[in-house]
Amino acid sequence: MKRHTHVALIATLMSATAWGQEVSLYGTTMAQMWKSEDPGFNKATFTPATQYLGIDATKLGSDNLSLHLFGWGKTDLSDSTNFDGTKTAGYLNYGYLQYQFSKANAEIKAGRFTTNQSTGFEQVDGVSARTDLRGGFTLSGFAGKPVIYKAGDLAHLSGSAAQHNYDFQRDVIFGTRLGWRPSTTGEIGVSYLQDGSKMAKDLTIPQPVDYTRRQLGLDLTYVPATFLDFRGRTIYDVANQRSNIAENDYTATVKLGSQVSVAGNYAERNFLYYYAGTNLPSLFRQTDNDRFKGWGGNVTWNAPLSIQLVADYRHTHRETYGDVNKVGGELRWANADKTLLVGASGHVANAAKTLVVDSAAPFRSLSYGEARAWTMVTKGKFTASLDGILQKYRASNPYLNGLKNLYEVVGSLGYEVTKNVKVSGDLSHATTAVSKNETRGLLRAEYRFGMASKGGR
Amino acid sequence: MARKTALKVFAAVLGLGVLMACSLISPEASFARTHPQELGAGRPVCSECHTTDVSKGALKPYAAFDHTVGFVKDHRFQANQDNNTCASCHAQSFCSDCHGGKAPMKPAIRLSDRPDRAAPHRGEYMTLHRIEGKMDPSSCFKCHGRANNDKCQACHR
Repeated sequence: MKRHTHVALIATLMSATAWGQEVSLYGTTMAQMWKSEDPGFNKATFTPATQYLGIDATKLGSDNLSLHLFGWGKTDLSDSTNFDGTKTAGYLNYGYLQYQFSKANAEIKAGRFTTNQSTGFEQVDGVSARTDLRGGFTLSGFAGKPVIYKAGDLAHLSGSAAQHNYDFQRDVIFGTRLGWRPSTTGEIGVSYLQDGSKMAKDLTIPQPVDYTRRQLGLDLTYVPATFLDFRGRTIYDVANQRSNIAENDYTATVKLGSQVSVAGNYAERNFLYYYAGTNLPSLFRQTDNDRFKGWGGNVTWNAPLSIQLVADYRHTHRETYGDVNKVGGELRWANADKTLLVGASGHVANAAKTLVVDSAAPFRSLSYGEARAWTMVTKGKFTASLDGILQKYRASNPYLNGLKNLYEVVGSLGYEVTKNVKVSGDLSHATTAVSKNETRGLLRAEYRFGMASKGGR
Repeated sequence: MARKTALKVFAAVLGLGVLMACSLISPEASFARTHPQELGAGRPVCSECHTTDVSKGALKPYAAFDHTVGFVKDHRFQANQDNNTCASCHAQSFCSDCHGGKAPMKPAIRLSDRPDRAAPHRGEYMTLHRIEGKMDPSSCFKCHGRANNDKCQACHR
């Protein structure tokens, strides 16, 4: 969408908030500062100032009509944090009018919105609608123009040519889902997504990479009893002649009594089909013809005295890199009035059987360990938090410039000026594989004005 | 004459279609737009209160919405099928903290004063992504495959 169209859309939507009987405005202003002295790069000082702003206006003439806007803008007060050297940036994350019917969970949205009704999580400039039907059926759909981001270069194309090809093929997006929910046993859904109506062969100079997506999805939720929940989905790529399953992802959760839940997951992805539509084909390479499989689970115990204990395990297998076993746990505790929260976690990933890291340095270890501890305190109008993370790598890892242990510590102090205004400041210190020491400062002002009971939470 | 007849038939079919579509729509009341009770800080366990019969109310299996670690990490199926349940407590901007499409900073920096919240890429993730990206690049693809990838493109060309 062109800049002046953006401005007109935002101005129109903003003026519509004047009709709202309940208007909430919430924002966060952030100022950061850090210095960089990375080897091989010039010294730089970064001081970006970022403004997030959201508006929810409800009861726009009717109890059922509302407007929702959210976006951000950023300017660099010293060196540029943008890779293209510019010092400003901004984005409208969403801006839509919504009409919610009082029956059938029916709603209509128009404008820029995100939708996950079908197989993908899509950002669309267009319209969407959903409703419950008799007999436990639900029907939803959306259509419009996809929100398009910068396309990555293809090996044989310049950036502008890649972007042109990408824009050409992603001219329209639409999707639909039909679900059926029997009264007590869960839900089954069938969905279809089409992103783009033109193929790479339709270009003036036909290209080998298609950015279009056509996916058929089947999702399933099975809840035979309140203690058992089984859900997941299968995505089938139907865009080309080699149609196949792009993804299987299923999770079963069992509640044992009131305190313990056990979950198990199996996921499988075929990159040739799963990566369809990527705008970064040099990273998400369909041509690798690679596959991923993973299975694992976790046990959560909501123990007495507000203690939560979690243990998790996951085994993953990638055809070109081999097997990884990751195991760990987490502990959380909160006092009765939740003014003191404490957490600690630890995970170890064992990738001893990694086949290849890269062609120049095969058989290097991907194994690592990570430990984290944090606390959050609220006392009157003051808040404080401390968060520390340690990452421990094998000495043979080729990416760490000889470093073995990396850490980051973040401390934050906040003060609630009024019920709707809070200011806070963070200081972080870290070691990275590039900069041996890195210190960052951050100032934050959060505010919320309005009447609605939620917004930004 | 033939055109008039065709138009009449078309109008009749359209009218019948609209009537039939309207009659198909559920007469049940919509789900509550906001949660009637303030839930306070921390991760709610929905099934603490919504314990019994899933056949009541909006037919939602509430145990599936307990905000366990597993739910927080992989809530897409619930969001896909029941986002009106999410909307009773969360504004859309809550989703945009992580699913913004284009963001000026990683969620872990934005939420650095909230260590209790799950935020992707806490700690020195620039190093770790070189390892986790090899273990499972499809987990990167969910957020960075078609959006949020300006910084990816600085190196991955």
